[in-house]
Amino acid sequence: MTGPRVRLQQLRLHLRPRMRTRGAPPPLPGGAPSDPPRVGRSLLPLTVALAVAYAALAGGLAYWQVAQAQALTADPLNPLSLAAARSAPRGTIYDANGIVLVSNVRGPNGERLRQYSYSIAAPVIGYSSAIFGTAALERTYDAQLTGLVSLNPGDEMLRKFRGQPYDPSDLHLSLDIQLQRVAADLLGDQKGAVVAIEPATGRILALVSSPTYNANRVVDPTDGRQYMAGLQARDDSPLLDRATQGLYVPGSVFKIVTSIAGLGSGAITPQTTYADQPAELETGFLVDGFRIHDFPRTVQTDHPLDYAEALEVSSNIWFAHAGLDTGAQSLTDWAARLGFGARIPFDLPTSPSQVTGGDGPLDGFADRVELANAAYGQGEVLVTPLQMALVASTIANNGTLMRPTLVDSLTSSSGSVTRLEPQTWSQVCSFETAQTIRSAMQQAVEGEFAVAAAAKIPGVPTAGKSGTAQVGPNAAPHSWFVGYAPADAPRIAVAVIVENGGLGSQRAVPIGGRLMSAYLGVPR
Amino acid sequence: MTRALYRAGIRPRFRWRELRLLVVVALCLTVGWISLESFRQGQVAIGDALLLTVYLLALGVIHVAFVVTGRHMDQILFPTAALLAGISLLVMNRLPQDLVVQQVGGTELPLGPLQLVWILLGFSLLAAIAIFVRSDGWLRRYKYTWAAAGIALLLLVFVLGSVTGGARLTLHIGPFSGQPSELLKVILVVFLAGYLAENRALLSSGITRVGAFTLPPLPYLLPMLAMWGIALAIVIVQRDLGAALLYFLVFLGLLYVATRRALYVLFGIVLFLVGGALLYVLFAHVQDRINIWIDPFADRQGAGYQVIRALYAYGRGGILGTGLGAGLPAVGAVPSIPLIHTDFVFAAIAEEMGMIGALAVLGLYLVIAERGFRIAAAAADDFRALLATGLTLVIVVQAAIIAGGNLRVLPLTGVTLPFISYGGSSLLVNGAVIGLLLALSDRGVDPPPRGVRPNAVVRAAQRARAVGGRVEEALS
Repeated sequence: MTGPRVRLQQLRLHLRPRMRTRGAPPPLPGGAPSDPPRVGRSLLPLTVALAVAYAALAGGLAYWQVAQAQALTADPLNPLSLAAARSAPRGTIYDANGIVLVSNVRGPNGERLRQYSYSIAAPVIGYSSAIFGTAALERTYDAQLTGLVSLNPGDEMLRKFRGQPYDPSDLHLSLDIQLQRVAADLLGDQKGAVVAIEPATGRILALVSSPTYNANRVVDPTDGRQYMAGLQARDDSPLLDRATQGLYVPGSVFKIVTSIAGLGSGAITPQTTYADQPAELETGFLVDGFRIHDFPRTVQTDHPLDYAEALEVSSNIWFAHAGLDTGAQSLTDWAARLGFGARIPFDLPTSPSQVTGGDGPLDGFADRVELANAAYGQGEVLVTPLQMALVASTIANNGTLMRPTLVDSLTSSSGSVTRLEPQTWSQVCSFETAQTIRSAMQQAVEGEFAVAAAAKIPGVPTAGKSGTAQVGPNAAPHSWFVGYAPADAPRIAVAVIVENGGLGSQRAVPIGGRLMSAYLGVPR
Repeated sequence: MTRALYRAGIRPRFRWRELRLLVVVALCLTVGWISLESFRQGQVAIGDALLLTVYLLALGVIHVAFVVTGRHMDQILFPTAALLAGISLLVMNRLPQDLVVQQVGGTELPLGPLQLVWILLGFSLLAAIAIFVRSDGWLRRYKYTWAAAGIALLLLVFVLGSVTGGARLTLHIGPFSGQPSELLKVILVVFLAGYLAENRALLSSGITRVGAFTLPPLPYLLPMLAMWGIALAIVIVQRDLGAALLYFLVFLGLLYVATRRALYVLFGIVLFLVGGALLYVLFAHVQDRINIWIDPFADRQGAGYQVIRALYAYGRGGILGTGLGAGLPAVGAVPSIPLIHTDFVFAAIAEEMGMIGALAVLGLYLVIAERGFRIAAAAADDFRALLATGLTLVIVVQAAIIAGGNLRVLPLTGVTLPFISYGGSSLLVNGAVIGLLLALSDRGVDPPPRGVRPNAVVRAAQRARAVGGRVEEALS
């Protein structure tokens, strides 16, 4: 037993002296004084260079795995979301009053399917389909709904130590499905859109696009493809969310934007009158060869109108003068403060609204004719219903534009809650400007000669503006209303458009009034 | 038996540090293996650990061989390479097994076992070189032969190479196929070490004056230009941007170490930029690489697909990673990143082992750098020092090039991640590189040849300088 150990020690004794002789390097050859220094000394800068390179790699790792990790994981095209969709239930979506809008069911073959309780909410909620992917909120919040992204950074880091790697969150929307129902019923089978906002917070209360589609049929594994093909073939574009992506000529509702620009820049005042305006009722207002007319009326024809009177009777001539006085640059700039000219940052995809086509010599406008027409919402002006609802909401909120939001809070399966607080998007105009426009908009509903009188809610001060947007010689005009109520302490601002609905005062205005009164609980 | 070895002049030398490190490596890999199997089975399990057992046994055998043959070699390099290859074994075993399937002697071997075979072959080569290479004469003496062999190899690839993934990389000779660019990098280092060691004195002394700069005699700058030309040719003909970048960077590194003249590096970088700009203007495949690097999202379903998929993997991994087996390197049997077992293996590691794991892998390459430079600094002469430096650079720079490409720090170029990427050529050559470094680390290696006379040009230049010095003295 002791044999090997003894031998080992002997070996070591043998090794030691030999090691020393081996350890010393043999003398170097040559060694002429002109030789450069030993190679070893130039290794230090090389080491430093390598260290820098590897530090850059570490920086790259930190950038992608820490700084960008959430954004990458939440990307809807990330294949992770597909894998997660197979193995984890998606979160439930609730409306503002806790009513379940979307839940999970098992399909005929045991697969997970989304069940959409209200097809009227389709433009907001979209769908999550194994075939077509995701749309609308199901797309925007895909990572949160599947639980790929934890709400809490600590949870995110410790995810791998949990049994279930996904942490699906429930969405609690600001949408009021009962109000959504009222709005959809009011539109009926007319094409159009309705947007309702809480002005002080930017919370979207209702967002209706008509016609729409049945998301349950889109996600149906057997019938889905055929149904989708049918939707895509239809002329009335049921898959298009008109409220956020439909671009419409606004007509007279745009006069509010002109008001903000004119009053805000000081080009007009509440007392501004145009001496020629009464006479031009008959002849038209001649701008560089183009005659601008008012819609024929028998009232308020005897004297030059001031700002509030012009808005009340919706005088195109007055606002054409005001627009020319305000100027192209100023009109565009003030509109931009409201969100014109860019996509509105929102939970759903949005189309940018425009004041002008944008490549003309007059600060984007082709000429003074286009500018004069744009001032009362014709010309090249194109808006989304969401944009117009934001305009009304801004005035109702005394000139402060809140960022529109659809989601109030997210609740993770582990119980943590993330509230999305209201955010100010921009300070559009002064309190005084907003007050001037507020009283004029109230007069436009409640005044003696009000065009938008049909929006009046009994017992509640109401403000608004109607619009009749000309879209061509052979088509009926779009019917518009924007407004808010109560006029003294606004709780809801709305924009309503009925495509080719005719006169604003006859179609869109009553819809807006009924919608607001339903929200405020006032019977009509 | 020990007595028999002793009589044969072989004396065992215990390598306790290496053994301790190998035990740590074995523990890490076993834990990794259990983690992977446990995730797969949903309970704590080790599963069929045959591959791991074979690998660990092989490490033990090599360690014992080192002990028995008793060379006074570095004790850290081998465990480092063993850990890297072990990580590779884990990852290859975890990826979809049908990514690569090859017939070996009648049985079909899928990715994991195949990689183990290559690792074992590579480590056998490593051990053989580390144990048996006792002299560097065969490398030192025949540098021009090596250079000729390298150029022949390159030409062979130009002529016979088959195109994979847009690059002419693979050489098929009979039943064998391989990537000669891996072998070429070692040949290049051997040649450069020999050339630079011989001409160091001249290259680092300024003789030609151009304005404010002193340059060595122009003929000595030719290698720089030749190297530049070779790199360009590789990019143009072989379309192998990664190899070209690697060769040029290793060349610049060695040139600097040999001469300590930053001007060379500067000159080299200028040449590199000029060449790069030329290639960008002239060649579509170079443009593609750069464009993908700058904005992969411009063509996310096409050219940018691979890079974007890798970015997703990093995002998913986060700081701690998803855990072995829990990531998404593949949806079903389809790898979520094309070439995840070769070019993008770093992304797979970063996903499942997280930033921590990826940093650890980078750290292992820096350990190799530290050991390699230590060997270079202690080398007995310039040739060995340059050889050790070059061999080290070949591994460490290559790892940086592909990791940088994976991370969008650099444009993506297809080189392998040493010891981790799947592939025989890479494992064999990198095994040989570590083997050579180990052999060089033994100071008992035959001493460098003495009394080598400087060649005629050197002698002439030295004489000229001596005359010049005297003239200068006389004038002052």
